[in-house]
Amino acid sequence: MKYIPKKIPEGINVTSRHPLLNFAYLLGTVVAVSIFIFVVLGFVAEWLVIRVSPETETQIGDMLVQPALDKKITDDKRIQYIEELLNSLLIPGETTRLPLQVHLINNDVINAAITVGGHVLVHTALLETVKSENELALVLGHELGHFQAHDPLKSLGRSLVFLTVSSILGVGMSQSGGLPKIIPLTSELTNLNYSRIQERAADIYGFNRVVKHYGHGGHSLDFFERLAKGESKLQKVSQYFLTHPLSQDRINDLNAEAAKQGWKMEEEVTPLPQWLHCSNMKPCEQAE
Amino acid sequence: MNNKKEKNVILTTLEGVPGQTIMEHYGLVQGSTIRAKHIGKDIMASFKNIVGGELKGYTELLQESRKEALERMVKQATELGANAVVNIRFATSSVAQGAAELFAYGTAVKVES
Amino acid sequence: MDALVQILFFVVLLILGYFWGRYFEKRHYKSILEREKNTLNIPIVNFGAKQSLIDVQEAALFAGSVVISIDYFKMISAAFRNLVGGRVTVYESLLDRGRREALLRMKEDAIKWGANQILNVRLETATIGGSSGNNSGPGSIEVIAYGTGVK
Repeated sequence: MKYIPKKIPEGINVTSRHPLLNFAYLLGTVVAVSIFIFVVLGFVAEWLVIRVSPETETQIGDMLVQPALDKKITDDKRIQYIEELLNSLLIPGETTRLPLQVHLINNDVINAAITVGGHVLVHTALLETVKSENELALVLGHELGHFQAHDPLKSLGRSLVFLTVSSILGVGMSQSGGLPKIIPLTSELTNLNYSRIQERAADIYGFNRVVKHYGHGGHSLDFFERLAKGESKLQKVSQYFLTHPLSQDRINDLNAEAAKQGWKMEEEVTPLPQWLHCSNMKPCEQAE
Repeated sequence: MNNKKEKNVILTTLEGVPGQTIMEHYGLVQGSTIRAKHIGKDIMASFKNIVGGELKGYTELLQESRKEALERMVKQATELGANAVVNIRFATSSVAQGAAELFAYGTAVKVES
Repeated sequence: MDALVQILFFVVLLILGYFWGRYFEKRHYKSILEREKNTLNIPIVNFGAKQSLIDVQEAALFAGSVVISIDYFKMISAAFRNLVGGRVTVYESLLDRGRREALLRMKEDAIKWGANQILNVRLETATIGGSSGNNSGPGSIEVIAYGTGVK
């Protein structure tokens, strides 16, 4: 037999698909499908979770709040003050589906939150930073808004869905190196957006109640204004990655709402009781 | 037109074609392919790991890969003017989880009876 | 913020992988094509066990092997492809290069020795585990080609 040397043409064993186009197509598909699945499952989770009975919610809530209560302050007249302020924000005759319990936590991070089951957590640092009752009322009203919208439960439901989906996907692609970072990342980003929508709604709700209680919205935004001044430029860039909207955006939104509803914003301030800045542990100084 | 040529290519794992003589040969030809199944099938396979049984999705994957690898090898052969590929061997390696790489190679020849 | 840093890191690695990977691949293919042209006159076949070999004085074993690594871009593309399904085109070029390089090295060794044919050639491919603790896919592809050179 004779050997005939001939060159084998290229392109038979290698498909000439441009790698960047290929990558873009794959990335697009994966991201789109992840977002879709996450959104759909999120809706399903929210729908299910709202139908949880108040008793079950109380049980879950009591269990989840335990770790947060280890620096709790008891026997302090500030707790009663906060409870009264919170109740005054409800419309007369309105009750919440669960009784709200106020817990005062000794912590020097400025924060207030509401958890599943109606546990309102207020940090002492918050009490020391607010300069008027109007500000404090808006913060409490915001948390009340979260509770009425079932936000804590919804967040819990979504987290569970997200964890389940992640672990299933983990089963399907346990050997794919850098990939798991992308799918949870996409879900995380979608999750953050939900939180911001919830936050905006809670802002509006709280503001609404504050105006109803005091007759005006004056001085309630002072807290946010002070925060906005402190926020650095870097946060503007990474706004997309924060669960709360930037303070300046919140201020703008609430001012726009006030303008829309015709609420007065320039009225006199309702001062805090003098003893709010002192406690059983710190001797009373002259409050402003 | 090319398809017709490819359909008539004789494939054997013997050193020649029985009943015919090799007139010319063109050297080694190869065909290889790597395919993956989408994640739905991967998840079903994971479940099957628990209950046992044939992994139909993956069987399909290997069959498709085998067909494609052979097709590519035959294409190389016809481009060289061959009408048979002898001494075909297969090889497989796992390049990625859930993906099958199949590689077929043989010698491209021209046979006449 | 954490998410931002992660994304940035990922994108930088992707870009590095893509550009360097393409460069190396182009360079390699150029070398392969040139060497194939130069050695085209010596046949490689994978039969030979059952033929009667006329005009053959000597025979010797020759082997060529090569290990080629993947780049980050390829790894991520393949991981995505694994989810979506279909042909993993990014690995095709890798395997093609590996096999042709291994065959060329075997051929060049045989030609240096003076062979005028290489018979009964066989190829084996193996993958070596991933990099940086990812138990994923191949970190590199190893191909070995071996055959009998006769003169």
